[in-house]
Amino acid sequence: MKVRVRFFARFRELLGTDIIAEVAERTTLPDLIKQVAQKNIEGHHAIFDEHGQFREYVILMRNARRIDTADAAKNVVADGDEIAVFPPVAGG
Amino acid sequence: MLSERERERYKRQMMLFGDEGQELLKKAHIFIAGAGGLGSPVSVYLAVAGIGNLTVVDRDVVDQSNLNRQILHYDRDIGRKKTESAEEKLMAINPDITVRVIDTTIEEKNAVDLVGKSDGIVDAMDNYPARYVLNNVAIRKKIPLFHGAICGFYGQATTIIPGQTACLACIFPKAPPNEVFPVVGVTPGLIGMVQATEVLKYLLKRGELLTNRLFMWDGMQAHAEEICMERDPRCTACGSFCGTPGNEQ
Repeated sequence: MKVRVRFFARFRELLGTDIIAEVAERTTLPDLIKQVAQKNIEGHHAIFDEHGQFREYVILMRNARRIDTADAAKNVVADGDEIAVFPPVAGG
Repeated sequence: MLSERERERYKRQMMLFGDEGQELLKKAHIFIAGAGGLGSPVSVYLAVAGIGNLTVVDRDVVDQSNLNRQILHYDRDIGRKKTESAEEKLMAINPDITVRVIDTTIEEKNAVDLVGKSDGIVDAMDNYPARYVLNNVAIRKKIPLFHGAICGFYGQATTIIPGQTACLACIFPKAPPNEVFPVVGVTPGLIGMVQATEVLKYLLKRGELLTNRLFMWDGMQAHAEEICMERDPRCTACGSFCGTPGNEQ
């Protein structure tokens, strides 16, 4: 099945955007993002900590609904899902 | 009452919102937190629009490396307090408004007093701890917070109305690490204009505010989009907001 992953800001620079990912049934949200972020170690590191957990400031949206990163593993992605992943932009 | 000089100055925008609108702007007091990349364009455009009272707070001195984006400050201002430089420029741009500058660091202990009786707060800071302080003050005083932030060619903005919309801590509950961010002046220029436009709309009570929406700009792609946001009932900053009067300062 196919899902769309959209990164923003720094994550976009490192990983690109509008990625259509082919994923297996029962793939969870963290597994999906890890799969897509695999291609760039710096991008992976920007999103996940050394224990493979989402960094606490990462914002996750699934089909325009906010997903708490602590609950992300409970989310199994479905065909056609659109997932957005972004950091708070901080400069001024 | 507007003077003849003010009528002439604001003639072209009074075509949009009349005497009544211009009077609303003249009576308004806006607090601008920061006189840097975002604070520069925001304060310049609020000054030319005739916001009657501007308070600008910053703690820094002008550094040469600021000058690619902080258009309030000139080469000759290097080493000078940003507040001093800002006051001079804004008064020269529009002598018909009142500009108050405060050279200090915005912290939990002084923020409520600094903001005083302002009608709204413009977030022109460069870090989240200071933004959370402003968010708390906005909630406590029940005044809007006009958020903006930038990095490189990326920018974001949203308008927070305490008690009605997601607050900054609902949207971004955890701060990213502090780091030196890349920036080119056009990005805070653009995001600052979104913030200043929001301030004008709020004061004029016109248009649709950027509430519960995070505006996101990617300059490299020339692409803008928005993400819908909602209040988090568990939010540590506004979750217990009851909307009752009595806790204003």
